[in-house]
Amino acid sequence: MAVMGAFAYEEDFLAAAENLKSSGFENISLLSPLPLEEAQEVLGLGKSPVRRFSLAGAIIGAMSGFALAAGTALVFVLPTGGRAIITIPPYMVITYEMTILLGVLFTLLGFHIVSGLPAWHDAPYLPSASVDRFVVVVEGATGEQAVRAEAIIRQAGADEIKHVEVDQ
Amino acid sequence: MFDHGQPSYEDVNKDVLASMLETGPRYWMLLGTTVSVAGICFFMPWFYQLFVGVGAAGMNRNAVWGTYLSNFIFWIGLSHSGTLLSAVLHITNSHWRKSIYRSAEAMTLFSLMTAAMFVMVHVGRVWFVHWSFPIPNQMGLWPNFRSPLMFDVMAITTYLTASSIFIYMGSVPDFAAVRDASTGIRRRLYTIFCFGWRGTAREWHTLGWAYTFFAVFVIPLAVSVHSIVSWDFALSIVPGLHHTIFAPYFVCGAIYSGTAGIVTVMYCLRKFLHFEKYIGQVHLDNLGKLLIALSLIWSYINILELFSSWYGGSSFELEALKFRLTGFYAPLYWEMILFCAFVPLLMLFKKFRLSWNKMLVISILINIGMLTERFIIVATSQPRKFLPDAFGFYLPSWVEISITVGSFGMFATLFLIFIKWVPAISIYEVKETLKPLRRDA
Repeated sequence: MAVMGAFAYEEDFLAAAENLKSSGFENISLLSPLPLEEAQEVLGLGKSPVRRFSLAGAIIGAMSGFALAAGTALVFVLPTGGRAIITIPPYMVITYEMTILLGVLFTLLGFHIVSGLPAWHDAPYLPSASVDRFVVVVEGATGEQAVRAEAIIRQAGADEIKHVEVDQ
Repeated sequence: MFDHGQPSYEDVNKDVLASMLETGPRYWMLLGTTVSVAGICFFMPWFYQLFVGVGAAGMNRNAVWGTYLSNFIFWIGLSHSGTLLSAVLHITNSHWRKSIYRSAEAMTLFSLMTAAMFVMVHVGRVWFVHWSFPIPNQMGLWPNFRSPLMFDVMAITTYLTASSIFIYMGSVPDFAAVRDASTGIRRRLYTIFCFGWRGTAREWHTLGWAYTFFAVFVIPLAVSVHSIVSWDFALSIVPGLHHTIFAPYFVCGAIYSGTAGIVTVMYCLRKFLHFEKYIGQVHLDNLGKLLIALSLIWSYINILELFSSWYGGSSFELEALKFRLTGFYAPLYWEMILFCAFVPLLMLFKKFRLSWNKMLVISILINIGMLTERFIIVATSQPRKFLPDAFGFYLPSWVEISITVGSFGMFATLFLIFIKWVPAISIYEVKETLKPLRRDA
C-alpha cells in the first residue's frame, strides 16, 4: 500500500516531505517535474556513486586504449626506419580517446545501476508529476501509519490524495 | 529571459509537446523538399560515382583530396556547436543555455553523421570502409594506430557515441513527459525510451551527477576531435598545411561555425515551431557576443598563419602563401576574410546583434566563409606542393558540387525527423529557469 499526495506548490511539497521524514517515515519518494536540490537534501542524498563508475571507466579506458595500440603493434611487428615499435606520442592519442569513451560508457552504466532504471514495472505515479505537480509517495504504509501519512500530507496542503496498491 | 512574460509549467509542456504532436502540411512539404534534395543531389550522384568510379569527382593525381574532405571538415566543425557549447555552459551554470541546447546538441549529432557520410563518399569503394575500423583483417594485421586517420576514426566514433548519450540522457525526463501526454503506440514507445522515468528525487540526483560527468568528458573530447582532424593535414609535410597552429585554428574555426549554425537553427525553430516565448533576445545577444569573440580569435590565428609562413622564409611556404593570396582561388580566400573577419564586426552594434533577420544573414555568411575556408585548405595546398612538376589543379566536378548541396538536404531531413521525435526544447530545464509558483504570490 502507498499513500500519494500531489501538491501545486513546491514549498508545501517540501514541507510535507520534511514532516514525513521527521515523523519517522523512511520509504518516501519525491516526484517532481524538475530537479529540486531541496528534495534531494530532505532525503539525504549526498555525493552520487556514479562518480566512481566514471573514474573506473576512465582508468579502464586509458589502459585498454594503450593496450589496443601497443598490443596490435606487437601482434604484427613492422619496423619502420629504425623507430620504436611502441611509439608513445601517437599512442597517447588513442589512449586519450579510449579514456573518454569508456568513461562515458561507464557513467551511463552507473546511471542505470544507481537510479534503478529501466524500471517498467508499475510504481506509484501521477502523470501530472511530469507537468506541474509535486508528488509525495509514502510506500509500505499500512493501517495507522497510512492514516498518519495522509494526515501529514493533507495538513501540508495537498490538493489530491490517493491510496494505491503496490506490487512488491 | 522571457520576452513575452513567464510561461507556466503547464504552458511549457503544452508548447513544446505541440511542436512534436501537431504536424501540419507545411512540415510535410518541407520534409518532402529536404528528402528530395538529399535523394536527388546527394544519393543519386553518389550512386553514379560508385558506378563509374571516383573519376567522376574532380580529384586527380596531384590533387587526391577534394571537396569531399573539405566538406567533411566543415560538417565536423559544425558539430562543435552543440555538445561542446552545451557542456561548457552546463558546467558554468549558464541558465540561458537551457532553451537552446537540445537543438544545438541535435545539430552536433546530425553534423557528425553527415561528416561520416563524406568519408564514405571519399573512399570510393565504400564496401571496404570497415578497413578503417580497429579490427584485424584475415591475416591478423591491424590498422596502424600511428596514422592520423586512425586517430580520426577513434575520435569521431567516440564523439558520436558520447554526443548521442549526452543528448539522449538529457532527454529522458522529457520522454516521460511525452509518454504522459500521449496514447497508443506512441505512449508505449516513449515508455521504453524514458526507461520508466518517474521523476523521483533519486532519479534527478543520479541524472544530475551523470550529466555533469558526461559534460566533463565531452569538453576535452570535442577539443581533441577537431585537433585530430587538423592533424590529418598538419602532420603531413605539405607547404600550407604543416603548421603547428593548425589544431587551435581548427578548433576555433569549428566552434565559430558551430555557433553561427546555432543562430541559424534557432531562427528556424523560433519561426517555424513558434518558440518565440522561449528563444528570445537574451539568447541572440549572448550568441552574438560569443560570435564576435570567436571571430576576433579566428582572425588573429589567420594573421598568425600568414605571418609564420612569411617569417619562416621557406621558398615552398612562400609559394603556397602567394598562391593562396593571389592565385586562382584568391577571390575565395578574400571572400572568406570578408565573411568571417569583417562581416561579424557588425555584431558590435546592438542594432545588428538584436535583430533576428540580420543575425540570420550574418550567421549564414559566416558559414559560407567557413565552408570556403575548408575548401581553400584542401584545394590550394596539396596540388601546389614543392616543385612545379608536382603542381596540379583541382576544380570540383558537378558530382562533388551536387553532393555538397545534397548534404544540406540530408542534414535538414535528419533535423526535421528529430523535432518530431524529441522535444526540441528541454522541458524540464526551461522549468528550472522559471520562478517557482508560491502560495502567497
